[in-house]
Parts: sequence; structure tokens; C-alpha cells
Amino acid sequence: MAILTGRYGEVLWDPTGTGTPAPVAIISLNAWKLSLKTDKEDVSCYGDTNKVYVPGLKDVSGTLGGFYNSADKTLFEAADQGTPGLLKLVPNSQTGEMANFWSGKAYMDADIDCTLQAPKVSGTFMAAGPWTIAP
Amino acid sequence: MADSSDIDNALIAKLGGDATLLALCPDNVYWDVAPPNATRFVIVSLVSATDTTVFDTRPAWEEPIYEVKAVMLKSANGDIKAAAARIHELLQDQPLTVAGYTCMTVHRNEDDPRIRYTERADNDPSILWFHRGGNYRVQMAVN
Repeated sequence: MAILTGRYGEVLWDPTGTGTPAPVAIISLNAWKLSLKTDKEDVSCYGDTNKVYVPGLKDVSGTLGGFYNSADKTLFEAADQGTPGLLKLVPNSQTGEMANFWSGKAYMDADIDCTLQAPKVSGTFMAAGPWTIAP
Repeated sequence: MADSSDIDNALIAKLGGDATLLALCPDNVYWDVAPPNATRFVIVSLVSATDTTVFDTRPAWEEPIYEVKAVMLKSANGDIKAAAARIHELLQDQPLTVAGYTCMTVHRNEDDPRIRYTERADNDPSILWFHRGGNYRVQMAVN
């Protein structure tokens, strides 16, 4: 185990949400971010010496980013889906590291930003079912 | 296999293969420096280069900026205005074909687009060299 480069990250998507066939990598992306934040309720009482919280539900959401590639419109097709797909986020896809990932059902939104530079795409997602970390 | 030097070579070949430009600059097109005794020629130099990387391709595209200019000795009586215009005509929004790449764009750089200055020879103040051309941004997607 070591700290790894993010250059070999990967974002994979299965529109059926079943994982069969296996999720396919979305091309021309260069960033993803996963947020796993749990709501915390303030239950501080008289006499407490500091604030006290109890956890609620974990919110799973995140963002994707990269460049528009006309060969792959997966991100926009995913945004059009009314049903959730299966999203798999891999920090490093090199041999021996591919088994480490987060995945779960998600709904996707997509944006494209077209200027005089290479058009950039971005996406946001939110959980549509339980998410897991592997292994 | 994409080779960045092939982009340089393709640019030189494109300029050097144009009869109109060679009529204006008969001493040919060179990388960085021209040979001794050349008086009307084109110089191509690399100003900067960046790679843009994505997860699945490393890099996704290369983006060199080239200085491309006609250089003429004043006494050679060349038409440097026409030579610079021809360089621009050959490069601006024109595709560049390079094995291993797909051309995204070739255009004069938004910042510092033009080159135009006169140089006096160190060893003889009566000798003047004219330089005129532009900085061209090339974006090549790696296949």
C-alpha cells in the first residue's frame, strides 16, 4: 500500500444499474469527487461543556469533470435517465489497485461548458441506493 | 505512437512545402537558426508546450506554441509583409496532419499574437534584419 497518483483514476457507469454488463469507463474525464457526509443533529443540553451531536443519515454525492469527447456521450445519456445507473469510482486503475473503489446506484446530472478552449464537461451525482467501498 | 517532435516536423514541412512562401523566402524554412549566408528565410521555434491529461489517455492533447516568422536582410529587398501574410494564410485555422494525432486547431495565439521587429547587426550597424510573423497555438489530440 502506498500513496498513489490520481492520473490513473477512473469513472465507470452501467446505465442498467445492475452491474451486468460490467460498468464501462467514461472517457476523457480527469476528475471525480465523492462526498460522504452524515447529517449531525445538535443535541447539546444545559450543563454540557461542549456541543454534542448525534449522527443521522449519510449523504452520498459527488462530482465528475473532464472534457467533451464526441465519441462518448455517456454522461449526458446518464443525465437523461429516469432510472438510476451503477456508478463506480476508482482512485487508481493500475494493476493491483483496481479492486479498490466505491460504487453504488446513482442519479446523474451533467453540464457542458463550451468556450474558445476545449469544451469541459462536469457532472454531479447522488445516491439512489446503498453505496459500498471495496474491498 | 504519438511523438511530439513529429508536430514540429509537420509544421516545418507544411511551410517548406509551399511554393508561394518559398518564392518569398527562397532560403527555406528552419528550426531555430538558419545557415550562414541565408538572407530571406522562415524560422520556426518552440515557445512553450503543455500537455492536458485525462484519466484514460496520457496526455489527451498536446498544445505547443510556435514562433513562426519570416526573417529578411534589408539589403535582400524581400517582401516581408507578404511572407508574414503567407505564413498566416498557411497556418490560421488550417489543419496540420501528424501521425498519431488528430488536429484540434491551429491558430494565432490570443496573447502576444504578432512578431514584428528590426534587428541591427552587432558587428555592423548598417546591416538590418527584419522579422515578421506570429505565435501560433497548435492543439493536437493524441490518438
